[in-house]
Amino acid sequence: MKHISKFTFSIALVLVSLLTQAQVTTEKDSIAPKMERYGLRVGVDLFKLTRSFYEDKYRGLEIVGDYRLTRKHYLAAEIGNEDKTVDDEQLNFSTKGSYIRVGFDYNAFENWLDMENQIYVGLRYGFSTFSHTLNSYTVYDSNHYFGIPTEVQSGEEFTGLTAQWMEVVAGVKAEVFNNVFVGFSFRLNRLISQKEPNNFENLYIPGFNKTYGGEFGIGFNYSVSYFIPLYKSKVKPKEKEESKK
Amino acid sequence: MKKLLFIVLIAFGFSSCEKDDICSDETTPRLIIEFFNIAQPANNLNVTNLKVTGVGMTDELDTFTAVSKIEVPLKITDDVTRYSLTLNSTNETIKNEDILEFNYTRNQVFVSRACGYKTTFELNPANGVVHSSETIPNTQWIKNIFIEKNSITTENETHIKIYF
Repeated sequence: MKHISKFTFSIALVLVSLLTQAQVTTEKDSIAPKMERYGLRVGVDLFKLTRSFYEDKYRGLEIVGDYRLTRKHYLAAEIGNEDKTVDDEQLNFSTKGSYIRVGFDYNAFENWLDMENQIYVGLRYGFSTFSHTLNSYTVYDSNHYFGIPTEVQSGEEFTGLTAQWMEVVAGVKAEVFNNVFVGFSFRLNRLISQKEPNNFENLYIPGFNKTYGGEFGIGFNYSVSYFIPLYKSKVKPKEKEESKK
Repeated sequence: MKKLLFIVLIAFGFSSCEKDDICSDETTPRLIIEFFNIAQPANNLNVTNLKVTGVGMTDELDTFTAVSKIEVPLKITDDVTRYSLTLNSTNETIKNEDILEFNYTRNQVFVSRACGYKTTFELNPANGVVHSSETIPNTQWIKNIFIEKNSITTENETHIKIYF
């Protein structure tokens, strides 16, 4: 954090010096109180959207949103839908489902002037409801005396499955132009519970992604969002003091 | 900042070991046959030059010597597998061929992402093993067959006991 602060400080210093050149006569005590904007930000995950175009075995859409609660805290949520076909050596299956993730983000970035950028960490609770279709499989038999096993068409469905998990999020968001933000985030997921299908496994969970040894998953998000300002709030000097510590 | 970097590193770490497609679990089991001495049923008896061939196959599965336990695969596409078991197969005068027919039902059991499904077998209670002799007249070298386990789910146990 220190380095970033130093960096932004030096940039800000240049900017401030440019500004003050034009207003040499400004009195020190009459600086207007710093106002910050509060509101709702909604957007879409471009990562999932673009994957839907270039990967023909994947379709996904995720709407992202956050609401600024305090100077540092944001209420955050994502709603999405995924349809993915996995073609492994032994298995070919399709997973369909919807999910929601709710939680909060904590902005660890100290903005200068009226910038509204974010470097944040957050937590999410995720819930997904989904189904699998086993398209085909090959029986694993290491003994090939009677021939190598061939692929078996199945079409068996495993429905009514659910999963819930926790997510640790780390990411950045930057305002690229007026009220439009671009950001990306990494997510580390850990399953809390899941309803497992009979004679199959939840190898893919919408919103959670591929399961690794059953419990962990990772995610990546690249979002573009639009900020709808609702009100402005004055930055209290006391709060400023605290945030500088 | 350090925390952030750490989380990002972990995320990359996980993404790099994405492929977990090496199947290391036990999959489709073979049938385990153990040989015993008919005179002393409690004792194992080693076979000598026991040639095992699937009926209808041109290549033999294996020829077993000095072992009392053999593993034979069952067909995963059919509910019946026939094996020809020829004892003393290298000696033309004393060699003796018996036929064993295994009748069973099959189950596909999910193992893991890497292994996919395996087949397990359930020997039929009525005709799990049918014993016949290839050449007539010929004394059958197998004197008695006992099904120890009807369910063939693992290779860690004996399924069939053969007394000779």
